[in-house]
Amino acid sequence: MPDTTTVARIRPLDELDITGIARIDEKISGIYRPEIWETRVMYYMRRDPGASQVAEAGGKVLGFMLGDLRAGEFGLDEPSGWIERFGIDPDSRGQDLGRKLFEAIRAHFVAEGATSVRTLVDTTDGGVAGFLKALGFTPAPLQALELRLETAKEQTHP
Amino acid sequence: MKVENVTLEKKYHDAVEHWRRHHFKDYETLLDSWEKYFPRDEKFCLCAKMELGTPDVIHVGEQTGEPKRLEPDQLTEDQARHLLAIIKAQASTEFGSIQQHAGTVDRAHDDQDRAWVLRVMAEELRHGYQMLHLLLSKDWSHVSGGVTGPQMVEEILSMTTGNHVLDAFNLDYDSFMDNITFAAFIDRVGKYQLTMQKVCAYKPMADSMPPMLREEAFHLAAGVIPLRRFAERAAKGDPLANLELVQHSINKWFPRGLEMFGDERGGQKNIQFGFKDLTNRDAVNQYIEEVRKMLRDINTRFVRARFPEYSPDKVEAVIEELERSRDSHRGLAYESILHLPDPRFFRRKGEPAFQMVGVDGEVFTDADTYLRYLSHHLNAGYVASRDLRLYAETLRQVVAGTLTVEQGVKAMPKLKRLGGTCPCSKSVRWVMEESDGAETTVMTRPA
Repeated sequence: MPDTTTVARIRPLDELDITGIARIDEKISGIYRPEIWETRVMYYMRRDPGASQVAEAGGKVLGFMLGDLRAGEFGLDEPSGWIERFGIDPDSRGQDLGRKLFEAIRAHFVAEGATSVRTLVDTTDGGVAGFLKALGFTPAPLQALELRLETAKEQTHP
Repeated sequence: MKVENVTLEKKYHDAVEHWRRHHFKDYETLLDSWEKYFPRDEKFCLCAKMELGTPDVIHVGEQTGEPKRLEPDQLTEDQARHLLAIIKAQASTEFGSIQQHAGTVDRAHDDQDRAWVLRVMAEELRHGYQMLHLLLSKDWSHVSGGVTGPQMVEEILSMTTGNHVLDAFNLDYDSFMDNITFAAFIDRVGKYQLTMQKVCAYKPMADSMPPMLREEAFHLAAGVIPLRRFAERAAKGDPLANLELVQHSINKWFPRGLEMFGDERGGQKNIQFGFKDLTNRDAVNQYIEEVRKMLRDINTRFVRARFPEYSPDKVEAVIEELERSRDSHRGLAYESILHLPDPRFFRRKGEPAFQMVGVDGEVFTDADTYLRYLSHHLNAGYVASRDLRLYAETLRQVVAGTLTVEQGVKAMPKLKRLGGTCPCSKSVRWVMEESDGAETTVMTRPA
């Protein structure tokens, strides 16, 4: 139900937040990509509605944190909360909205029986890594690995 | 959040399975393709889901602070009778929407949209099943007027488009546009009803709401996201896409959605009984604001796709300017974006029933002028429908003074089945409900 107050409140994501999220993403990344956010929001609405959170004030989305509860990922049988994406409107930073969003999504994961919250971070992105560290995230024994694949174009034109 | 899955007694479970074989022929296809469209999502379960750990104390109404009721006979007789009607109406809507979706789901523009609607249909089937569980798991005989549980199930499963409890579920879809507009507008009413009923003083009803609400969130997205994408196609010049198609569908469903809340002047009894926490008017006003926001979102998608060089702030300013001036912006006319009709537009129930108000609030005094106006604001398939013809006949009588508004409200026809549950061999008939409650058969048709 729409919020018309001016004090930010944290509430579960809904399908009418897509425009607001795409707008924050565009402010941060400089890229307008509504299709991406339509796909991601639909994914979370059907996977784990109630997990993903937004910060809203005066009917505008000021921040978001998207995630869901999963079990069986990478051999991790116990249910874990996974945080995939989050963002705060650059004009609304400094209000502790990121922490408030995290507290709300964590409460949901705990209620669902999760024993841990997991995410991946680009360690070269000091801002995001520092934010996660401040929330209490620590490096996990499970390490993210990748293998770069040559594209057909690269093979033809080395 | 912990949920208990409950299966109906075999004969009732089988009755629902039998029903879906007639009315939801793509059910097996959906289950077979589940992994393709919903990879790693929890498998669909045709069962009742009861939330555990919900509040035990009544939150609203005259019994606030008392323990929630666990059995129908712990409610007062008035409460039990009222709640029984709510549960039956809810069940009717769940099964009814499947029948509506089934008519046009195969006309989806792409396979993903179709798969989303099929999942919506499956979850509505589960919601109907949930309501049957509420009817069958407890004894309602003291308020059912002698109608037994099995008879109530038969009554609900024998309803077809035309004789459901609420009007929104008695309209055929004219195209896939109706599938997604219905999900965006009518399922949203469902979200409000379920949210209000989370406080219900009857605990089995309250426990049913959270699992249904979680599924309803997907239903709303299954309407809004295809509408957003359709708006983008329209903005980019796809000759098969334009917002007039969407607007006509909105004009068809929005008035019926408003009427699903009940008369704007009512709803106090639901609060008094502890079944809901908002009056009808408060709920409908919140709903109107929410659908207004939804249309703003779709318009934003449309205008941004039309003018990709514009910033979000510029897009917002353009929409506000169009709405204020009703003029045009670089060839984009005000009429080309979506508008929420006046809440009194095309109403046949509630406070503004038969008032003849246009989408912008303009008032008409002549019935045929108003009907001509409606024919320009609704899609051709619906204009040619029996529903609209019967509305027109009733409106003319109300305007001529041969029917009161109250009689007009009651005079809209409903289909009623002559025989039993299975549509294999039975027929239905149009009946006109008289103002004194008597029925007059209008015509019969094969089922």
